[in-house]
This record gives sequence, C-alpha cells and structure tokens, in this order.
Amino acid sequence: MEILDDVLRTGSRSADEIEVYLVEGQSVSAELKREVVSRSIESRHVSLSIRTISGGKIGTSSTSNPADWQRCLEAALASGRLATPQAWNGLPEPQSLGGPDLSYDPAVRPGPVAVQGMLEAMVEGAMCHPVQVTSGGATMSTGTVAIANSHGTWYSRNQSLVSASLETIRKNSTGYEFETSCSPDFDPASIGDRAGFLAASSVNGSDIPTGTYDIVLSPLAAAQLISAVLVPALSGRNVHAGRSRLAGLIGTPVADPAISVYDDPLLPGRPGSTRWDAEATPTRRVPFITDGTLREFAYDLKTAYRHGTESTGSAVRSGSGGLPAIGHHNMVIAGPETALMDEPAIFIQDVVGAHTANPLSGDFSVELTNPFRVKDGTFEAPVRKAMLSGNVFDLLTSVAGLGQDRRNIGSLVLPSIRLNDQHIIGG
Amino acid sequence: MPGVRYYDIRHVQGQVTHIDIDNGVCESAASSFFDHAVIRALSRQGWGILTVDDFQEVRRNEIGSLVDRAASIAAICEEDISLSQPVRGSHEVPRMAEDPRDVSLAEKAGILLELERSARIPGIQNTRINYIERFEKTRFCDSTGYENEFETCRSGFGVLVVAARNGTLQMGYERRHTIRGLNIRHQQELARSAAERAILLLDARPARGGTMRAVLDPELAGVFAHEAVGHASEADLVQEGSSVLAGKIGERIGTAAVTIVDDPSLPEFGFEPFDAEGSATGRTEIIRQGILSNYLHSRETLAAVGNGQAGHARAAAGEPPLVRMSNTYFEAGESTREEILAECRHGILLKGSRGGQVDPGRGVFQFNAEYGYLIEDGDCTTMVRDVSLSGEILKTLFSICLCGNEVKMHQGFCGKGGQSVPVSDGAPYLLLDGAVVGGSGDS
Repeated sequence: MEILDDVLRTGSRSADEIEVYLVEGQSVSAELKREVVSRSIESRHVSLSIRTISGGKIGTSSTSNPADWQRCLEAALASGRLATPQAWNGLPEPQSLGGPDLSYDPAVRPGPVAVQGMLEAMVEGAMCHPVQVTSGGATMSTGTVAIANSHGTWYSRNQSLVSASLETIRKNSTGYEFETSCSPDFDPASIGDRAGFLAASSVNGSDIPTGTYDIVLSPLAAAQLISAVLVPALSGRNVHAGRSRLAGLIGTPVADPAISVYDDPLLPGRPGSTRWDAEATPTRRVPFITDGTLREFAYDLKTAYRHGTESTGSAVRSGSGGLPAIGHHNMVIAGPETALMDEPAIFIQDVVGAHTANPLSGDFSVELTNPFRVKDGTFEAPVRKAMLSGNVFDLLTSVAGLGQDRRNIGSLVLPSIRLNDQHIIGG
Repeated sequence: MPGVRYYDIRHVQGQVTHIDIDNGVCESAASSFFDHAVIRALSRQGWGILTVDDFQEVRRNEIGSLVDRAASIAAICEEDISLSQPVRGSHEVPRMAEDPRDVSLAEKAGILLELERSARIPGIQNTRINYIERFEKTRFCDSTGYENEFETCRSGFGVLVVAARNGTLQMGYERRHTIRGLNIRHQQELARSAAERAILLLDARPARGGTMRAVLDPELAGVFAHEAVGHASEADLVQEGSSVLAGKIGERIGTAAVTIVDDPSLPEFGFEPFDAEGSATGRTEIIRQGILSNYLHSRETLAAVGNGQAGHARAAAGEPPLVRMSNTYFEAGESTREEILAECRHGILLKGSRGGQVDPGRGVFQFNAEYGYLIEDGDCTTMVRDVSLSGEILKTLFSICLCGNEVKMHQGFCGKGGQSVPVSDGAPYLLLDGAVVGGSGDS
C-alpha cells in the first residue's frame, strides 16, 4: 500500500488529479483429464493501474510489476497529453462506505487439497450417469482491490472466488455444468450430476422439422444472448455514440411488462458485489428496465461528465490496459417466477455461437446445445440438432414467463425464460 | 529438486499500446507493461505449474526454489505423463517494414484520426477505430539446458462503422493485423468500404434459414477450417475423449478437394518461431485430400496420442501452454470464383465473419457471416444480413464440392481455456452442397 502513497504523491506534482488502482491476489486451481487430476496451478496476480487528469485530458497506464510504477506513471502522463480534452468535474471525494466485504468469505483458503476435493466430488456426481468425464477444473482464489485518488479517497476490499466446472460425454452427446461463488457454498457433486445428466439424456436425439416452437431458455442460454446484445445496448457510452438500439427510448416499453432488469451491486455474497466501483464512485441499484419500461442507462465518470449527467457507479476495470469502462456488477433479470415446463416446449440448455449475434440490431442465429422436448414439467425426449434464429430485443417483448431456477451466470443473475412462437431450423 | 523429471520456464515481458478513436475523439492512447512467467515442473504424478506476475527476470539462483514450489503443487496429480523427444529449432522472425515503436504515439493517433474521418460518409452515425500494438520478448529455458528467445511485435486495427436510418442500426467492420510492422497508413479505402457496407446493410433483408447450396468467401471459409476442423484436431481434446476426430486417423472425412493445414512457422499473424515448449514449429497437414492425417500436438499429447508432430503448444503471456492452432487454412483447388458461382446456380453467398464456435465432442459447429447475397442463376442478387451456418464435423466436409484457386489469410484471435492467442485463418472460395443456413427472414 506504500506504493499507492508514492504514486499519489509523485503524480500530484504533474497532474491536476491522479488515481491509482491496485489488484493483488493468489489462486490455486487443478484440472482433470478424464477422471484424473492432470495438472495443478498456483498463480500470483498483481496489477497496478494509474490514471491522471489534467485540464480534462485523461491519461492511463498499467503494469504487472508495481515496483516499476515510475515508468507506468510517466506513460500515463504521456497518454494524457494525447487525449482529447473533455468536460471533467473531478474524481470522487471520500465518503463513508463502511460495512463488511460483500464478495469475500474468509472460509475460502486456496490450496491444492481443497480443489482436489471439489474435483473428486464432481467426478463422483457424474458417475451416477453412464458418461465419461472428459475435462474439468476447480479454482479457489482470494485477493484485495484497493483504489486511492488525490482527493484523499482510499478504499480497499477483500474478495474471494470459488469456481468449478465439469464436461462429460456419452457417444456424441456432451454435457457441461459449472458454479461460481464467493464462498465454498455449493455442492460440487451436484455439478457433476447435472453435467452427467445432460450428456446421458441427450443421446439418440431425433430431428425436429423447421418451424415455430415455444421454447424455454435455461439461465445459461438466456445469459449468453443477453450478454451479447442487451448488456452493450445499456451502456451510456454506446447510447450516446449511436451504437445502441435503445437510444432515445427512455420512458418507453422495451420489454414485457412483467420483466425488470436492474444492476444490484450490493447483493451480499455475489462475485460482482462492491460498495464502490472501479473509479471509487459509490455504487447503487441501477434500474435499467422497470416493469418493461426503459428507465436508465449505465454511466462511468467520463461518459457522465461528457453528457451532463452523473455516474451510476457502473465503472468496471474491463477496458484496455486496465482502464475503467462502463459495465455492471450483478445484472438481475426479475419478474414473477412460475413453472415454465408444464406446457410443451423445446428446452435449450445452452447455445453455440451467441457471441456472433449482431450487437446493434440484436439479430442472432445460434446452434442449440442439449435441446429437449419438455412437457408436464419433465424432459420427454432429446432433440439431435437445431438452430434458433431471432432478435434479442424482440425476445424481451415476447417473454411468456420466468422460471423458478434463478442462478448466477457470470455477472448476471437470472432464471429460465419461456418464449413462445420462436423460429427453429431443424437438423 | 527431488522427484522433478523435467521443468521449463517461459518468461514473457513486454508492452502493449492501445489507441481508441471514437467519433473523432481520441478516447485513449496509452501504453501498459507486463512481465509474466510460467514455471512448469513435471513430477511422477503430473504437472505442477506456477504463474508469477512481476517476474522481471529469471534469477538463476532462485530457479531451484521456484521449481520445487511448482513440483510440490503437483502432489495432488495422478497422471503418469510422458513427453516426446524434443525437436529443437527456430524460425527467423520476419523483418518489419516499419517498426511501430519507431513511430510516436502522437503520429499514430494522427494517422488513425484521419483514417476514421475517411469512414464518415452520409448515413453514418458512428465511426470507431481501435489500434493495438503488442511487443513481446519471450525467453524459454528448460531442465535439459536448452535456452532460446525471440521478440515479436504484433500490431493492427479494427474499424467499426455504424449506419442508422429510422431506428434501424447496421454495422460494417474491417480489421487488419500483422507481424510485419505498422499497417495503418493508406487504409482509407478499407475504412470507407466498411462504411459503404454498413449503409447497404440497412436495406438488406434477413436471410431465410434452411438447407441450401452455399458459397463461402475466403474469410468465412477460413473460419470454417478453424471451427469445423481445427479445434477437433487439437490432440488434448482427442486425448480427453472430447473430439469426434478421435480414432479416425486414416479415415476419409471429406471429399478429395479438402486439404487443411496448420502451420505456425508460416510468417502470418499466428507465427511462432518456436512453440511454448521450445519445440520447432512446422507444417502439419490435418486433412490430406479428404483423409484425416494428423492431429496438432504438444510434446505430451504426441507421446500419448501419436499421429503428428509437436510444435503446436501455444500460450498467452503468463499462461500455461495448450495445444492450439496458429495459421490454419484450406489449400487451394482449381476453380475460379466465377466457376464456383455458376456451379452453385441457386443458393447463397456468405461473406465476412463475426466469428464462430464449436462443440468438438458433439461434432457440431456454428459460425456467422457479416452479410451475403442470394445466388440466382449463378448471379449474386439480393443482399442479406445476419446469416449463420452450422454443421456437423464428420458430415460437412463431404459437402465441399469445389475449392477456389486463390487462398487469402485473415487475422483474428482464438479463445480456448480462458486464453486468447493471435491466429490467422485462410481459404479460397468454397462451394458447399446442403449447407444448414440460419436466418430468421423469408428472403
């Protein structure tokens, strides 16, 4: 932490304002090759990012070697000299943001034996089904994030993460499942059981004719499509740059009235939770879509100042070279949750190629993974191969129901989604 | 180092520079620094791997303790691993016509601003250019006493142009990346072509899905080689049992027109002077005239699976090596583009790529074209948009009827195991019979 002081003190002589962001952590992971642990990895991560602001010109740089902070500071100052000046009302002033860490569990102690136990439990779970395990992995990590700026703002927090995944196969049918949490609070055997079930139950699928079907997207399948299209469309930067189809639609219906979409950074125990964002702005709930109506876009400081509004506390460190960029912390898809599979439908566990969707128009065409015919709440029969085509923005307006299986998928929290009358191209 | 059968250390230091120009504004132009090392130790039970940031330099007197640490992590492993005999060698890094490091950040930003301006034509509401330049110095050493090193500088840019009309948005995108030096000068025509295509796409119709004849342009056909064949030929997947190509060496899996090669020694964007295990790199024919001939290998998978040569282990800086593609391409056939369109007669021409994905265990892949044209009586007619193609690895190569006579390479990045590495894909024009095309329209 002395480095933060050194950077602030030295940088303040050359820039109006300065900010330093330090991430340090360690992780232990292990990987399966078939049912056997084949390699174990211990990692130590560190990253120091510096941002300088002078006369509305923002400079940035980062380094994986904090001892080399002086070169990093010089690069940030040089970067600032090239930037186009913009309206700038200052880095955040210090505030009292006390409270326990939201995304940290001291019970997470990264170690080879702990991850080995998770792998063994997953394999045991999968073996309840007639499948072969092909690969898998388990990781435990802990770390700290600290941010400080020349206004005296200085926050730090601990974080922890536990993740596990397993891939299985039976004949040419594959299954994949995973969990991620801040705590060792999930059952690895259940991951194996689900991955095994998906591969075993997808064998001997039959083709379906091209046509219109009612479908149920699992949380994973829905998250893939939402991440590719809706998430970038809610970024204030994309909205003002003319790269969002939602631009100009604040106050108008953009989704089924039963659907709300919001970012909740203060959910305890979620990996994305934090009381301050990646540039030290206090976080808050951001209601993007409330009861189907578009309410708000996400902003960081830079975009907010440029367009005369306030940051929504949505900065994350996903930009190039450790730069803050607009994102979200825990994006929740919410609405009344009911049983979705009583009426006949095609259930879709995952999709292949969601990232190839058109992020501007929302059009997509993806291959289905583990599709099943479902009826009366049960999986009736697997479908061999099919494609789903449509438009993500149109899907939002045609939601027929949300399921009771809400889960964390990356930074999204969402249940299954039922959509009627969707276009499927049969195999 | 008791119990350590082998170790190696791969140390990558460097600097990455990004420039982001968005609607005439220089949003950022910045350089960052990295310094990563991966220490691998092979014990009797398997691999123990240590990854370290801020490594600075391999301090010889500390190697022993780092290797011991890596080996101790391997205590939980249970796999008896063999390595093939190392084949050493190194290819010379191609000379750069103009070293990007010799051009100031300010001059590069100026060139990009000019380039971005050239895409601003009536009907365009946003233009954005991203430039990246990554300089890496890679050092490798292992327990046999072998040492080698090289320096590369990869650079390039992408132009994204958005056209808008009555609430409808469409985009045109072009990118060029290279290992041969600064490539941003005199690219105005390319930027303008992205803008013109974005405008044309406003009037394009969504494609109608179904099974039909399809012509793939070289960019999309290159992605086809990568997704439909390349990943499934990676021998780590074969060894795990998650590739439909396992056990099929010597079998016909496509028409005699199909020869697909991966070659990291080719001076294209996926070039590697030697691989991430210090092995010599070279050409591997995955499919020769329709017959599955070789897999892509690391030393470990070559010893375990056979059929091929090592030299295909790659790693992002600070990450352990994986079996990866590099420069993957269909070899040229004999047909001209015109002959392919005439032979297609009625179908669809698919152009450009928005990427793809494969499930190699199931043998199913999907990839997406940026746009296309209906082919009617051998002529390209109506423009269509948002069209994708899916298929099954073991069937789809039998549907290739004709291969064009000119291969073009395109650059991109490939993701696997959480790592992204630079690759190039190449192909001539291809004609596919019975292609499964995805689209929601009724054109």
